[in-house]
Amino acid sequence: MTRLRIAESGELREWMIEYITSVLDLPVESLATSATFDTCGIDSVEAVVMAGVMEEHFGVEIEPMLFFESPSIDAFVAAHGGPPENG
Amino acid sequence: MSASLPVSLVVVSYEMARELARTILSLSPGYQRGCAPADYEIVIVDNGSSRPPAAEDFAHLGACVRTLRCSRPSQSPAAAINEGLAAARGELVGVWIDGARIASPGLVAACRAATALHPRAVVATINHQLGPKLQFHAEDTGYDRHVEDRLLASIGWPTDGYRLFEIATTELRAGVRGPMLESNALFLRRTLWDELHGYDERFTEPGGGMVNPDTFIRANALPETQLIRIVGEGTFHQFHGGLSTSSLRGAMETLRAGSRAYLRRRGRPLAPVRASGWLFDSRARALVS
Repeated sequence: MTRLRIAESGELREWMIEYITSVLDLPVESLATSATFDTCGIDSVEAVVMAGVMEEHFGVEIEPMLFFESPSIDAFVAAHGGPPENG
Repeated sequence: MSASLPVSLVVVSYEMARELARTILSLSPGYQRGCAPADYEIVIVDNGSSRPPAAEDFAHLGACVRTLRCSRPSQSPAAAINEGLAAARGELVGVWIDGARIASPGLVAACRAATALHPRAVVATINHQLGPKLQFHAEDTGYDRHVEDRLLASIGWPTDGYRLFEIATTELRAGVRGPMLESNALFLRRTLWDELHGYDERFTEPGGGMVNPDTFIRANALPETQLIRIVGEGTFHQFHGGLSTSSLRGAMETLRAGSRAYLRRRGRPLAPVRASGWLFDSRARALVS
């Protein structure tokens, strides 16, 4: 299976933290990036919504199943983030 | 404020004769408890079916049923709902965006009683789906109309409508106080529907996309509204090949595409209503503390 690179790891991580804390109305520092989305309060429906919003932001088609295969920010970034692209 | 507000129930139908018959039966005075026939009307708005329902189809139910044909039928039910809202004569109006949802027997009376508790009440009922799992698992579980017919027969429906809870799965997986994306049926006073300008017809996607969540979110965002969730009643979705309830892939695609359209339209991500609001226990006829 081809690994989907969505964005540079730091950018992807930052976007996900901001998105989830914004949706849950939480302070950024309170979010554990190793925690599963479900534990954070993002259920499967909201994970699919996040896929749609992420597509709009990064311009990449994102299968919602990816969130279930890599169910935390850390896991998702490890799977779908990457090094900065060469200019 | 009165607990006896005249009520209109606006029900949208599209190619669902089997399901609509049960839904309207469940809304009729012989099934609904605590409501007299004169207390409410049912306005069915057909959104372009090849054989639209007629009021005579439901004459045996003793309900005040009116049938309309949407003048602008489309793949989205938004215009049909708005035409139903315009035709509704009740001071309290409940909207069924999907006419395939059977009601429990005390739903109308509970919504009416809950509405009387606050001048700007947003009364939300909890969605359930018939079957042992949510219906988008149907491809895996073999759930279909025939299985569903047998399931309903197994509880002797419609004799005791509360037994629907025994054969259904809630859509509110985090419990009655959990995040809530939408409600079918949603009850607002006529004045609040007017303030909301009904459903947003820019949601032209099949099935309306996220128009039902959008309406629920906007209603709760109106100033000084009070969300009241109804406990002990609900609506129960019948399997009918709907876009978001027939397959996991279809459900995900509908939600993903809908969330993108919502973001473009509203400029913010789609997010469920997290405030639990008040809980109204239909059996106790009182708020749950």
